[in-house]
Amino acid sequence: MELTFGVLLWAVRIAFLLLLYLFLIRAFGVLHRAMSAERVEGRPLGTLVVERSPARTPRVGERLPLRAMNSIGRDAGNDITLPDEAASARHAKLEHDGTEWWIEDLGSTNGTLVNGTRIDGRERLRAGDEIAIGRVALRLDR
Amino acid sequence: MTLLFRRADEMRLLVWVAALVATGSVAVAAAEATSFDRRQLLIPVVFVALAVALHAFLAIRRVRGDQLLLPLASALTAIGLVLMQRLQPDDTPLLAQQLTWMIVACGAFAATMLIPRDLTTIGRFKWMWALLGVALLVSPLLPVIGREINGARIWVGLGRFNFAPWEAVKILMVVFFAAYLEEYREVIARPRRIGPIPVPPVPYLLPMLAMWAIAMAIVVFEKDLGAALLFLGIFLAMLYLATGEAFYSLIGIALVALGGYVLYQTFGHVQVRVDTWLDPFHEEMRFGAGYQIIQGLFALGNGGLFGAGLGNGMPHRIPIVWSDFVFDAFAEEAGLAGAIALLALYLVFVYRGMLIAIKAPTPFLQLLAAGLSFIIAFQTLVIVGGNLRLIPLTGVTLPFVAYGGSSLVTNWMLVALLIRVSDITARVRGTP
Repeated sequence: MELTFGVLLWAVRIAFLLLLYLFLIRAFGVLHRAMSAERVEGRPLGTLVVERSPARTPRVGERLPLRAMNSIGRDAGNDITLPDEAASARHAKLEHDGTEWWIEDLGSTNGTLVNGTRIDGRERLRAGDEIAIGRVALRLDR
Repeated sequence: MTLLFRRADEMRLLVWVAALVATGSVAVAAAEATSFDRRQLLIPVVFVALAVALHAFLAIRRVRGDQLLLPLASALTAIGLVLMQRLQPDDTPLLAQQLTWMIVACGAFAATMLIPRDLTTIGRFKWMWALLGVALLVSPLLPVIGREINGARIWVGLGRFNFAPWEAVKILMVVFFAAYLEEYREVIARPRRIGPIPVPPVPYLLPMLAMWAIAMAIVVFEKDLGAALLFLGIFLAMLYLATGEAFYSLIGIALVALGGYVLYQTFGHVQVRVDTWLDPFHEEMRFGAGYQIIQGLFALGNGGLFGAGLGNGMPHRIPIVWSDFVFDAFAEEAGLAGAIALLALYLVFVYRGMLIAIKAPTPFLQLLAAGLSFIIAFQTLVIVGGNLRLIPLTGVTLPFVAYGGSSLVTNWMLVALLIRVSDITARVRGTP
């Protein structure tokens, strides 16, 4: 009697540890699935379509997914890196405020053009607008 | 029928949590066969009912997005309840109190899910949050309601219940910083440079610095190192997240070093904390200030790889084990294996929170979610580090697990906020 109770007690203790790990594995599974599902179905907030790109990276026609805050520039630390000599290291910033997209030039040397006009400060964008940064042209697409 | 499957992953994970809390509770109850109290078996039942109620609430409200945070927070709370059952001394019903606080936490969770209707509006009242935060921090110093427990005057008492206001202030601080940084990020992010040294735009940083300085001053006055460290961490992390300027972090670390040195030289209780960390086995501290940490280390050693088994260790040798040293108690009885699993749960929680932040549709929501996830990560790091004697011990709570009502309630509100951010993201992006 004493012995079986002792065995049972240890079985419960080991079961606790096992359950902890099983839960953890299941949680990892859900996390993994959520991530891959978001990668496939998750519509990004918006996309930039590359229209003109002399440096060939990014390729013409490539679709660049956007987040709420996106920095654009020559520097590799930007969300969108444009290896173009005419682009500044930190060139411009593209932001979503919940409903609208806004672009702002970060004091770049050659400026940022929206539909051919150089912008001054923060400017609202509409779907289909063309952004020119250096020799690269990008179109905003929803 | 569709109600059951609306948040299917969450439901499935909660089944595992139910099994976990039932097994843990039985293991602890069986080990104390002499003083076996049948009412203890009610605990897993009540807890699982609460978790399922929260799940049903989310399903009925058609909340979309994250299905991982609720089960994770439930699992951590479940471990906390099992440990309270294990660690409660004869004269204090820790378990009953913690379970009562869990009911309050569920109410707070539901309220945070409903109010305000549009989460983005809370950013507009940022000055109100800042004021409320300062008021809450001052409240323990007030004569009638303020209370001092274990040398720290950080408590507000209402009848039999004590509340630590800084727990709520940590969330208010994140909301305030997120709203403020969304507005002034531009100016703060591009400091003028004199040579390689950036000159921060001081006028724009002033409100944040003021908020932080007030918090620090009060906290130092109330002798609560843990909260001070947490506030400083939130301040630096959010500044870095919003600006991407590593220089701010460097200044921050320099400030920590300087402030730490000054505090060490001027305050006795800071000196004790550092001395017991460096050499707890010193002759004069072995049975004094260093006793708690030494017992904690022995507990870790006693636990070994797979632990002594729930209910089979000697966690009561650590003084006040249920609040500051709950991690050591768990590591003794569940071993290194259990401790790693526990830390992995926090890891998944924080990772999930940061993913929610990255995907969020506005800068305010991004900063909010990142700041909230940071709180959980930082608190876990600071208290577990303190328990393992990697850093000096400070009095922050192990989120969801450690004994404490204010901690449990505010952390569940934090979960609700994260779920709301993920819900908004799912709606904007059109994902389930």
